[in-house]
Amino acid sequence: MSQPAEPAIRVDRVGKRFLRTAGGHKLRTLKSALLERSLIRGLHPEQAIGALEHISFTVARGESVGLVGSNGSGKSTLLKILAGILKPSEGRVLVDGRVAALIELGAGFHPEISGRENVFIGGAVLGLSRRQIEARFADIVAFSGLESFIDEPVKNYSSGMYVRLGFAVAIHTDPDILLVDEVLSVGDEAFAHKCLRRIEEFLADGNTLVLVSHSLALIESVCDRAIWLEKGSLRLVGHPRRVIDAYRAGVAREEGRQHLEANQEREREAAPANEPAPASCVSSAMPTPAGPEDAQGDAENQAAAGDATPPVLRWGSGDARIERLRIRCGPEERYHLACGTTVTFELEVEAQRPLDDFVFGIGIFTPRGTECWGTNTDLEGFDPGRLEAGRVLVEIICPRLRLSPGEYLVDVAVHARDGTPFDYRRKLSSFTVTATHDASGVGVYAPEHRWQFSSGIRWRAVGETAATDLPRGEI
Amino acid sequence: MLTVARRLYRHRALLGILTGRELTARYRGSVLGWAWSLVNPLVLLVVFTFVFSVIFDPRDPAVKPYSLFLLTGLFPWIWLQGSLLEGSASLLANGGLIRKATFPSELLAIVPVLANLVHFLLTLPVIAIAFVAARALGSEVSGPSAFLLPAIIVLELPLIAGLALGLAALNVHFKDVKDLLANLLTILFYMTPILYTLSTLEHHRVVWAVVAANPLTPFVLAYQETLFRGHVPGVGIWLAMIGVSAAGWILGAGLFERLRDTIVEAV
Repeated sequence: MSQPAEPAIRVDRVGKRFLRTAGGHKLRTLKSALLERSLIRGLHPEQAIGALEHISFTVARGESVGLVGSNGSGKSTLLKILAGILKPSEGRVLVDGRVAALIELGAGFHPEISGRENVFIGGAVLGLSRRQIEARFADIVAFSGLESFIDEPVKNYSSGMYVRLGFAVAIHTDPDILLVDEVLSVGDEAFAHKCLRRIEEFLADGNTLVLVSHSLALIESVCDRAIWLEKGSLRLVGHPRRVIDAYRAGVAREEGRQHLEANQEREREAAPANEPAPASCVSSAMPTPAGPEDAQGDAENQAAAGDATPPVLRWGSGDARIERLRIRCGPEERYHLACGTTVTFELEVEAQRPLDDFVFGIGIFTPRGTECWGTNTDLEGFDPGRLEAGRVLVEIICPRLRLSPGEYLVDVAVHARDGTPFDYRRKLSSFTVTATHDASGVGVYAPEHRWQFSSGIRWRAVGETAATDLPRGEI
Repeated sequence: MLTVARRLYRHRALLGILTGRELTARYRGSVLGWAWSLVNPLVLLVVFTFVFSVIFDPRDPAVKPYSLFLLTGLFPWIWLQGSLLEGSASLLANGGLIRKATFPSELLAIVPVLANLVHFLLTLPVIAIAFVAARALGSEVSGPSAFLLPAIIVLELPLIAGLALGLAALNVHFKDVKDLLANLLTILFYMTPILYTLSTLEHHRVVWAVVAANPLTPFVLAYQETLFRGHVPGVGIWLAMIGVSAAGWILGAGLFERLRDTIVEAV
């Protein structure tokens, strides 16, 4: 492992296209193939779906590389090409060494036969002789912890048991290169730790690992390098921290874009609601800011009145109308926010006539309806003087919005002090709060915080072991 | 074709394990277990002997005792038929294995061929006892030429294996192969001189020509010559077998080789 010889894996301008199967114009029967004399020709991917494009990278011997990317980005396809299960449509792949692949659940198990026989088959697939497998059999079973189930047919195994056995076989066949696709997340915590310890040993022996996972923490702790795939192309290769941060930012951008689109869609849909809302809605007293129960009550009132059932997202007399809600970070409109940044909620209100009794309100909810925060100008002591007819802007600026990472929905309202709504808009906007290093917890609120430990408590450095699943606070 | 052969050789240990598993799986949970492999041919022998000596008695002295003549051709046929039917379905049936693991898919098509071969071999003791009994009763059947049987089996193996490979690869892409095959085998059975001899067809020149041109005919004739008649088959039959077997392997394994890369995606 000392001298850097040939790389363990060399991927050279690899592309992969899949045949379009269902819905293709070709009638895929033997008859048509014979008639068109295209038996072989027809099976070559011409009208095909691109899965990978121009992928090039090398993995050095002894290196461990993580593949990240969203679903459908081509990670598993790439791994299957490395494993030799799929052939690349173009380019070359050189894999030097004995490969063991753990791809998908129950990779390569025969469901009808016992775990014992599957160990032998799995070992033989990976090139071991019967005697070699016999010699390791006890270790394999012990590692999997399935002593009492080893003679059961594998089809009766739980998904966790599948993975236990699969990993146990793969790691005991002395591979030089281990390819693992996600499966480790299926096992329980204890087994995952066991696997990770074994992988650390495996890497310490100078072997090579390629790991596909959605668990970015896992990749960060196990891998020397990460590769970010997006839509079948290589986006970024480098230090896991850097790649993962870039990937997270990319995901957040994408989520922000989806929020923006959804918000625009909602504005368009709500636009026709110019006419005052149904009487039942208007009359229901609506104190500031309406919790979900109130809105529920409204919806029920309306349903009782025999109206259509879709949830009411807007109601009020329309004397003043909320035309738009923008969420900004500084001057930039954004719908994905890192926890703790300064956020501005910008309300565009159009008053139909001058008003001298008015309240502006805002409420932030989780998608499940938990109210995180709600306030209005009346509660905070603003005494209404006059709201001129025409367009005005209201901004609510939160210098450090410390919501926990997650999705949030925003309600805004303009109403009279007695609660009579001019315009109440539910779920007008949504946004995502992304995790930062000190805000990765659960709940709705992420206060600034730090940890302090007395002597007698020791922490391993990051990367020292993979088993650190404790909060990574400011130590 | 050479690649397929090389890969089969390289994975012979796995091939052995898989075939063993296929055989044990068949009788798992049954009381008699392996004995069924002997009981089945024995029942056929008893039934045929009764039917063809008491109910219909074929006049042709060339096929007497008819039950033994019939079984001589029938057991190898069952080997071929079982191998092709199971072999053609093998890749689809084990889709999970080849989609998710680096699994040499050609093994899957060969396993049923070998498993059915073992079943065929297990019928031989029954046949042997029947021939010994028939000779003791004065029939002029069989003889030392029966020891040529392994040579014929070895010659037929590449043919069946090649066809199983080719059909398995085709069946992945065209699901009609399996149904087509079942019907084709029925027709082929009657086109092969298993129930009758070639000489009975001498007055129907066209039918004779068709049956004689059937590539499986030399194998059946060889089995009948060595086992039933106690003759060493002529050079023509040996050459025909070698030719047909080589062609079958080249065609089937070659087709598999060409379709190999498409199999994983289509399964």
